[in-house]
Amino acid sequence: MRLAAALLLVAACGGGDDRGPVAFTDTGGTLEVPGCGYSVTTRVGAEPPRLATAYVGEDPTPRLVHLGIVGDPKTSVVAQWRTVDETTTATTLRYGVGANLAESALTETVTGIQWAYAATGSDLPRMHQVHLCGLEPGTSYSYQVGSPGSFSPIYTFTTAPDIVAHPDAEVLYAFVGDSRGGYDVWGQIVAQYQARMPDLILYSGDAVTIGIVQEEWDLFLARGEPLFAQVPVVMAHGNHEVNAVNFYSQFAMPGDQENFGFDYGFGHITVANDTPSDSGALTGSTVEFLRSDFEASKTARWKLLMHHQPMWSASNHGSNLTLQATWGPVVDQYAIDLVINGHEHEVEITKPMRGGAVQASNADGTVYAVIGGAGAPLYANGNEFWTEYSEKTNGASIIRVRRDQLVLDAFRLDGSAIPMSFSKTKP
Amino acid sequence: MTVRAIAFAIVCCSAVGAYAQDDASASAEFRAALELAAANDPGAIDAFERLGARRPITRWTDDAWSEAARLAELGDDYARARRALEQVIALGGEDRLAQRARSTLSRLTAMTGNGAWDAVAKEHERLADAVFGGDDPRAELAQLEALVGANPRYPRANAMRRVIAIGWEQEGDGERALRWYRDAAAAGTAEPGRYADLELVRALIRAGLLDDAERRLADLGAIASVDRDGLAAVRGQLAIARQRSWVRRGLWALMLALVIGAGLALRREVGSWRGAGRRIVRPPSEAVFLIPIGAILIVVAYMGNPLIAHAVRTITLGGVAIAWISGVLLEATRARRGSVGLARMAVHGLIGVVAVASLAYLAVDAEHLLDFLRETWRGGPSVR
Repeated sequence: MRLAAALLLVAACGGGDDRGPVAFTDTGGTLEVPGCGYSVTTRVGAEPPRLATAYVGEDPTPRLVHLGIVGDPKTSVVAQWRTVDETTTATTLRYGVGANLAESALTETVTGIQWAYAATGSDLPRMHQVHLCGLEPGTSYSYQVGSPGSFSPIYTFTTAPDIVAHPDAEVLYAFVGDSRGGYDVWGQIVAQYQARMPDLILYSGDAVTIGIVQEEWDLFLARGEPLFAQVPVVMAHGNHEVNAVNFYSQFAMPGDQENFGFDYGFGHITVANDTPSDSGALTGSTVEFLRSDFEASKTARWKLLMHHQPMWSASNHGSNLTLQATWGPVVDQYAIDLVINGHEHEVEITKPMRGGAVQASNADGTVYAVIGGAGAPLYANGNEFWTEYSEKTNGASIIRVRRDQLVLDAFRLDGSAIPMSFSKTKP
Repeated sequence: MTVRAIAFAIVCCSAVGAYAQDDASASAEFRAALELAAANDPGAIDAFERLGARRPITRWTDDAWSEAARLAELGDDYARARRALEQVIALGGEDRLAQRARSTLSRLTAMTGNGAWDAVAKEHERLADAVFGGDDPRAELAQLEALVGANPRYPRANAMRRVIAIGWEQEGDGERALRWYRDAAAAGTAEPGRYADLELVRALIRAGLLDDAERRLADLGAIASVDRDGLAAVRGQLAIARQRSWVRRGLWALMLALVIGAGLALRREVGSWRGAGRRIVRPPSEAVFLIPIGAILIVVAYMGNPLIAHAVRTITLGGVAIAWISGVLLEATRARRGSVGLARMAVHGLIGVVAVASLAYLAVDAEHLLDFLRETWRGGPSVR
């Protein structure tokens, strides 16, 4: 009911207007999403977000459908897509409770928001978003997106479980990064993930070679669509994303989309940008953000930090000593269980670390994992005193989170297991 | 009526109480099994299976079977993993755990031919781990070759061929690697995407066999099932490789021309080849200064990334050689003409810079570090 009430307002405001795109302004802006308790902000380089109208362009076929999270993943999700014509401003989602429903069972209709942003290529890409709030935890929904007369295939997503009601809940995070330039490899990893049915995708950055090149984003999203249309994706900003407006326009994420934290199942995931536009932020405001997010989530059962450049790595770039010196002590202070990175195109996991030294057991330290094998040219792996296992390979990982257990399993492109399983339990 | 209601309530309460007790005890048992799993105790699977088999069913029953399946698969015991997954499916109906179990069972069934290839799959996994993670995997590579030879109908035989190809390439046996890449491509024509073909073209490019790669790409372009993004990416890689090949050849030709030119100039200044030979073996002052500095540079470089160290070594040794030849030539000119004019000095310096720049490019290219350098240029260096 709350969902219906919230989005009726959006429908009332936007649904009846059949005006097409207005003159492009790249100022960015903010729009409150009714009923969700948060707002959507676009960056300079993009239009302010606007409510959808009823205007349908020449070819409104939806494409590059992907899910995101802004609010509580137990009760909300964001569907995002573009259309072939990039001019359609109608933005509609139809849904029903249950997995793999027929079109006739998608009885609820919701209208969303849209905006265009400046990018390479002749057209201005136009993002469409529908924010669904007030959903039921741990529940599957079928949905399709588009505009009257032109809808996507029907997809199914499942909201995060309510861990109070279900203490035996298990969630799976797909975790990987660095597909840039290797989209055929990325496609194979997506196929592997489909067979493993993750609940959430954590992507540690460098999805594309240069963040302002829209064609690359389209390749990344097209190959990811079979997965992204059914599982929400959360991205960390990588150095190759170059803080482009494309990155911030295409992925609905909490807060400022750079530094934020959220709970999913028994895990709290903190995401941070380690290549911010203002490099001074790295050792200033970002450290402050980490401290405040870790403090706010210190009662979380499992704590994970995702960012791009590893504090500990024996591969090509090596350890990022700036992060090690400034973020490392905060990670130690709040006893983060697992830090997940990319940047190095290989797979690598450390022994438990604390204060720059190897610890006796996972209970005493933080483990750092690099899973950067999503398609970019591979780097040589290495072995240092902190290395538990490393391998030069294309691969990806699944992080399994239960109340008492945190596990990371990695696999190669052909599906074979990489012998670097990490497992930690808590009483 | 009231008595019946009270009796019903008592039965309900005791049932709920019993369930709660069972659930708490199962929860503790599950946690204990998790502890065993985290400690890599081989008894963990047994503990999960015991909990899964316990009756009455609790909320942890399907979780226990699911964990047993995960551990069994990690231990390459596919039959045990399949049995555990079947239990999850039987218990779970349509919930998420059961859906995942169905998907995993289908993956394992495809991987092992529903049990027909369990032993081969186990050996495949063991050897692949040794190839990717071992220091000297040549023995395991030979075993893998024998394994795939004996089991050509194994569902993942082509994955095995690709592991062998990658392994030999990493071991520096390019010819043997290419043979396996070719075998994998020939056997993988029915695979969606034709990824083995694309890997072969990439390997040909890495081996510098660009004409072969181009021919293969032309053939693949006409095949509809080839992954189009992969094809486009490989075409881009081939174009870059061609450009770099031309630059490399041009620079080698330039270096050769500079060496010949320096030799001829030295002979002209000294008056005979014999005299030039005597001059060249005497280190000039530039080289005497540079040799100890170069030695320190090389030692420091080898304390970091080995690929960069190889490039630094080549550039340093080449730089010393260039300084040596240059110094000898200048000394000979000075000895013959009394002094070296400004214009001659400028041309000499310019040629020296060109030679060092060419040498640096060739050294970086030889270690396949051009892309790494470009990325560092764009993204800034990471402090190591």
